[in-house]
This record gives sequence, C-alpha cells and structure tokens, in this order.
Amino acid sequence: MIFFGIWLATYLVGVVWYILYLMHMFQQNSYKPREYGEWMRVHTNVGRLLGKCLYALISLPLAVIGNRGCLIAACVMNGMTILVNKPHKAKKPLVYTPRVKRMLVTTGILYLLAAALAVAPGLWMRTGAGVLLTSQGLLPQPEHPLLRNAGLILLVMFILQPFLILLANAVNHPIEKRIDQYYINDAARILREMPDLKIIGVTGSYGKTSVKYYLSALLSTQYNVLHTPGNYNTTLGVVRTIRENMKPFHEIFICEMGAREVGDIKEICDLVHPDYGIITSIGPQHLQSFHTIENVVATKFELADSVPPSGKVFLNYDNTYIRNAGTDKNIVSYGITAKDVDFCAYDISVSPRGSSFKMKDESGKEYEFHTKLVGSHNVQNIAGAIAVAHTLGIPMEKLLYPVKQLESVPHRLQLVKQGDRILLDDAYNSNKNGFEAALDTLAMFKELRILLTPGMVELGEKQYDENKEVGVYAADKCDYAVLVGKEQTKPIQDGLLEAGFPENRMIPVDDLQEAFRMVNAIPGEKQKVILIENDLPDNYA
Amino acid sequence: MKIRVGVFFGGKSVEHEVSVISGLQAYNAFDKEKYDLVPIYITKDNELYTGELIADIANYRNIPELLKKSIRVFLMGEKNGVKLIRYPEKKFGSSEVAQIDVALPVVHGANVEDGSLQGFLRHYNIPFAGCDVMASAVTMDKYVMKTVLKDNDIPVLDCVTLYGKEYEGGEQAAYDKVERKIPYPVIVKPVNLGSSVGIKVAKDREELREALEYAFTFGPKVLVERAIMNLREINCAVLGDYEKAEPSECEEPISSDEILSYEDKYVAGGKGGSEGMRTAKRELPANLTPEKREEIRELAVRTFQTLGCNGVSRIDFMIDRDTDQVYVNEINPIPGSLAFYLWEALGKPYKELLDDMIKLALKREREEQSMLTSFDSNILQNANLSGAKGVKK
Repeated sequence: MIFFGIWLATYLVGVVWYILYLMHMFQQNSYKPREYGEWMRVHTNVGRLLGKCLYALISLPLAVIGNRGCLIAACVMNGMTILVNKPHKAKKPLVYTPRVKRMLVTTGILYLLAAALAVAPGLWMRTGAGVLLTSQGLLPQPEHPLLRNAGLILLVMFILQPFLILLANAVNHPIEKRIDQYYINDAARILREMPDLKIIGVTGSYGKTSVKYYLSALLSTQYNVLHTPGNYNTTLGVVRTIRENMKPFHEIFICEMGAREVGDIKEICDLVHPDYGIITSIGPQHLQSFHTIENVVATKFELADSVPPSGKVFLNYDNTYIRNAGTDKNIVSYGITAKDVDFCAYDISVSPRGSSFKMKDESGKEYEFHTKLVGSHNVQNIAGAIAVAHTLGIPMEKLLYPVKQLESVPHRLQLVKQGDRILLDDAYNSNKNGFEAALDTLAMFKELRILLTPGMVELGEKQYDENKEVGVYAADKCDYAVLVGKEQTKPIQDGLLEAGFPENRMIPVDDLQEAFRMVNAIPGEKQKVILIENDLPDNYA
Repeated sequence: MKIRVGVFFGGKSVEHEVSVISGLQAYNAFDKEKYDLVPIYITKDNELYTGELIADIANYRNIPELLKKSIRVFLMGEKNGVKLIRYPEKKFGSSEVAQIDVALPVVHGANVEDGSLQGFLRHYNIPFAGCDVMASAVTMDKYVMKTVLKDNDIPVLDCVTLYGKEYEGGEQAAYDKVERKIPYPVIVKPVNLGSSVGIKVAKDREELREALEYAFTFGPKVLVERAIMNLREINCAVLGDYEKAEPSECEEPISSDEILSYEDKYVAGGKGGSEGMRTAKRELPANLTPEKREEIRELAVRTFQTLGCNGVSRIDFMIDRDTDQVYVNEINPIPGSLAFYLWEALGKPYKELLDDMIKLALKREREEQSMLTSFDSNILQNANLSGAKGVKK
C-alpha cells in the first residue's frame, strides 16, 4: 500500500511538470491547435516528447502487475520521469494568465473524471480491456485492484497528455469565446465614446514596432498620443490597450497590427476602424502559417482596405511587393532608394554612431535630419514616420528635434555598451532585410566584429536558401561567427564557407549559454562588438 | 468620454479659506460638456475629502459638520489612472470613489502653493495644471525670485535678508545691516507669505524694530527693501508656458491704507466677503498710457518665462511715481481666483481660461513622457554595500 502511495506521489509530480511543459508550448504557439500540432510533428519535438514519457511507459506495465517488487521498480521509473520533466530556466517562461489557469482547472477535472472512472466499482470490469486481461491470466490478481485500475488509467492519460491539452482547450473554447467577446465589446464601446479620436494602423512584415514608436514620438510634439505597447499587436492586445490605457484626452491612437494568418488584420480593423494606415514592408515572414507570399500581401493590405476613402494609406515603395500591390485609396509613398515617392530620404550617411539624411516637404524645401539610430533600414522607418506626422499637420522644422531625440527600440538594432564591449542587440524576430542592414552596420565598426545568431526561422520552404544567402552576405562583414544550433545553422555555415570565410573563425554551438562562453573566449586585444541577431523562443530551443 | 479633472483646494496654509473660495469658483466655471469634475478639499491637517457637499461653498460655514457628511479619500496612482480611494476602505465591494485624469491645484500659501502639493501630485503620477515644483518654489520665496530676475535684467528692488535666529541677540547688527544698504523708509516682509500678511513699513530704526518683530512672528526669514512712498501698484497675469505665453489686462488694486491689506483683498465685498479677489476694490483696466501698459505686459511675460512658470500666474508690479520706474514686486504662481477677471477684461471667458490650462498640463505631461527618466541597467545586480557606489568588483 505504501509503495502505491509513493508511486502515486512520484507520478503526480511528474505529470504536473509534464502538463506545465505542454501548456507552455501551447502558449508559445499562440494557443492555436494547428500550430501546436505542427510543432508536435517537428521531429526533434517528437523525440523530445517521447523522451519525456519513456519512463512512464515502462512504469505502466510494472504498476499494472502490481506486486511489491514491480511497484518499487515503477517508483524508480517515475523518479526518472520527474528528472526528465524538471522545468529548466526558460528565456520566456510560462505566464499564468487567467486563460492558462482555466485550462489547468479543466485538465484537473478531466483527470479526476478518469480516476473516478477507474475507481467506480464495476465500471472497470465493464470496459473490455480489464475483462480480457484478467480472464486471459495475463494479469495476476493484484493486491488492490481498484488502485491498480486507477494507476492504469492515469498512466494512459499521461501518455495522451499532449492531446489532452487540445481537449481541455476545446472544452474551454465556448467560455473563452464569451469572455473575449465581452472584452471586445467593451473596447468597441470605449472607441464609440471618443468620436474625435484619430486612429492610425501600422502593419508590415517587419519594421512595424519601430515605426510605431518613432511615429508616436513625432506625433507627441503636438498631440496626445496612445500607442499599443510592446508586442500587443493582436486583437486581444489591442482590446487590452484600449480598456486599460485609453484616456479621454487622447487625440491619436496608433495601433500596431500583427498577423500570422489571413484575416488577422481585418479582425483588428473591424474593431478599431482606422482612419489612416501605414504598411512598412512585406516579406517572407511567418510563411509557415501564411503558406504563400500572396497571402501575406493580401493580409497586410486588409489594412488599406479598411481605411475610408477620406483617409490615407502610407506605403513603403522601396518594397517591391508593396509597390506592385494595388489599392484604390489615397496613397502617400515614402522610401530611401525609390526616387519617385512623396517623401524621399536622400543623401543618407550611416555610421556606428548615428545617421543623417535629407528630406523635402511638398513645397520643395529641404531639411536635414540627424538621429542616434544606426542602420539604413532605420532611416527608412523614420522616413515613414515623418511622412505620416507631416501629413497629419506637423511642420517639418518641428520634427527635427524629436528625430534627433529618437531612442533605439529595445532589441531592434539597439546599441548597448556593456563594460568593455559593445552589443548590437537585434534579437527580435529577424528578417533578411533587417539582417543584412544589421550586418552592414556591424561591418562599419573598427572593433573586433562578432556575429552571434541562430539564423532565421519560420521561412517555410525558403528556410535553407534565405539563410544561405545571408551567410554569403555576412562573410566579409564580420571577423567571427558564433552560430547557435549546429543543425539549424547549417545553411549559414554553408553560405559563409562558400564565400571564403575562414572555417576556424566559424564557431557552431548548441545553445545560447555556450555561445556567450565562446564569445568571451575569443582571443585578442581589440574591443569586441557583438551583433546578436534573432531570438530563440523555447519551442525552437 | 469627458476629461476628469480633480480640483484641489484648501491646504495647510494661512490662506486656506481664500483657497476654498478660489477653488470652488474654478470648479463651477468649467465647461461641463467637456469635463467631469471631482472636488477635492484638503483640510488643515492635510486630509483629503470629496463628495457632493464638498462643492458647495455654503457648507463651509461649519466645516466639522461638512467633513462628517463627506468621504475621506487617499490617492492611488495606478498604471491606468489615478484613483481616489475611500478611507477607511470598505469591507465588501469596491472602495474606489472616483478616478481623475488631470489635477487643477487652486491652493494658496506656503505648504501648498510652494511646490509641496505639486511634488505630491508628481509622486502619484498625476498630470496637473499650473507651475511645476521648481517654478512654484522659486516664485514663493521673494528673495530667491529676486536673485533670478536680477540675473536676467528684470528690474527689482534691492533687498536685505534676515533670519530670526540671527536677529535674536543681534538686533543692532541687524539694523546696521539694513541701514547700510537700504535708505528709509523701508518695508519688511516675510519671504514666503503672500496676500500682504505680516508686512509693515518702517520710517526709522524704532519702527524697523517693530516691523521686524512683527514679521518674525510669521516666519523665520524676512526681507527688507526700500518702501516706495509714492507708489502705484499694477497687477498683470500671464497664461502659457516656456514656449509661448500671453499677458492679460492690467489692473490697479485700490487700497484703503498704505498697502493693500488682507482685509482689503478678500473681505472687501462686505456681507461676509466670500467672493474673493473679484470684489477687492480695483480699477480694471488700469489707467495707463499705452506705452506703459505694453511695457508692463512685456515685462510680465519675461518674468513668467524666466521663472519657468506654467498655466496662469499673476505678477504684481510697483511703479515709483517719482521716477516712473517699474519694478517687479512679487509673483503669485497660483493667483487668487486664478485671476480670471483679468482675462474676462480681454474677452476670454473663465471656462476658456481653464480649458487652456488643462491643455498646457497635458502638453507638459506628454513632453515628459517622451523623455526617458529611468534606465534599464540594473546596478543592483552586482551591488554590495561596501565601497564606492556602483563599482563592480
């Protein structure tokens, strides 16, 4: 009896940790069953999941047999399960949101139901398996049949746990939908009570968060501005911003709109009804969920479709996809390489210490802008922000000072001095355009230039080619390359080597900790500058 | 959604009652279409009260009764706004009484007008109208104000400052100090009180002794300056901030005695005099030549901006009729009745004045938002208490 108690206790610890891990992965996949399913199918993950329940699989028959010796062995197996499921320090840990808590409650109820099923007298025998196994003499008569039965069912649950997450999600779905709808309606009500509020939608495959921050800073010279904070670019994030941060004196609301699937942008637009929109870029981001680049274009342009005929759509004409897409709304164009645009930034000079460029207003008068931000793509982003701010009534000369004061957005080519080394922190969601601009910036430094990256992800079919091209591009722009994920960075390695990068300066590592160790170990007197490119959330680690 | 304004008045100062009058005047003058108002009364013990009865001046005849029937609150600044929470809190249900977006302090006197209340509001992250901490503090100290203005070539009278403690036992030295620098007749004022409290003129050493003894009963620091005998006083208000400011009409307060006294200013309306500065005897607009009027108005704007003021402040000038020289006498960061009558004289209604003040408050708030005031770096990561601060091993 005691041993069964021990078995149950060790099982419980193991299963709770296993459930929390799966919940964490579900959260990382945005609570979307399809993406979660795709994550499970990735072969490294299949291996990982099997590893987590291997010992439980061994523990099962031992517990079923039920005699003392086997129970002891089963406890040992449970101990191993606990070890492999022990939570490790994650870069972005599980957040216990109310939704997560609701799902855990439902999961708990499912387990109780299953245990009750096993313990209810007679039910077990009615299930054919029990009858079959005992009658065949395969199962010895256990000391405590009910407990044995319970143990059996709980173990089966354990193995099915990855799918039980989906079941709990499905069970909770109607409740979640109702809760979400309540919040959405509340946000809509707040917006109705502010009829004079001007709403600007910002979207793009990349650059939207930067443009949002820059635009907010520029518009704040004259207006009271609210913008969606951080990464709150989903419908529910926007809803939360409106409900928690909107004040009666706000005059402009800048709403960043993110998307992973067709219709995501339309959903946000149906809530906020933007008066203006800006599309910063279109590229092969999130191709795993979009599938084709045409879908990406169509989705981003859902913003243009939502802008009323009296409004304006601001487009980055340096981006060919944007230039070629059509829209019947009023267009204001901007860019740095395209010359026939309404707002063109020219005479651009970038250095490790900042950038400068010139722009003309509609009368042809020229203005020279200076900024602390590095990277030519930031000049492009600022040009877009200036286009919007000026069109909304702020004179160009009033924009000179705020542009000068612009601070880099955290983790977006952010220059950080850390003791005796310089970090170029570009950790957030890399894309090829930004990666190359970051490499251009790295190349300009006189210090020892080190690239640290796991490569780009979520590029679907193009994963190999795009990463390899970046490798080729990087070859003459850095002195050392520390690549996180030996398998994953193979394409970059191929690219580097093909372009003649010395192999002894290429350092593939397994994880981020090792990467930093290697960086520190690089010899040399010169000061180091490290470009950290792209982040690595745990479901890829 | 209407902007919610918390109007603060009262406070632990000698001008408590005046502030109640000014505060409720402002409360009633707001455009109710655009604003939702919350009246917040600060008692002499620095307790905050709100409630329906707080907004009616008639209830202040019996303040203890009023407080019994009102709600005591404290402020809580949260991410999404500033809330007034009932004190003591309810056992069940929400203790939230109101929420405000902006504060309008209408307080007068030391301990409130001098930056104390402003600092308090900053602490709770409430945007507020009117002068900020520094401007409030500088303008309330007559001596500090003079030094700043002098440095900017704005005409003020020379003065001598004395501390009560240095005076005790050192009377003769004090008189000598004054006489060395300032010719009789002189005027003695506490440095940080407004509304003509504690002020006396002295024509000789004996009267100087009387004036000093009197002034020191009000505060530990006084200043002595030349008394202009052939005096004209002209007041002018300014509305704006460091970037843009405009002056109001000029008025000439008429006094019954040598200097406009407290009674003159606030009780002159007869019948209990609860109508504030509006009914003090005055000539509005003041009888000045157009050149003089412009000279004063320009000087007012310069003074306002030099001292870093914001919102509405009133500058009191002195003209020495013998020399026709204009001097800045003092500046009231929060003037009685917010000097609305000086703006009405130019055609700007009180509710528009208040609207402008709120806009300025919000402008200041968003300008500050765009400054980074705290940084990500965490020096506490490697901190230890020995040795120089922040130095890593």
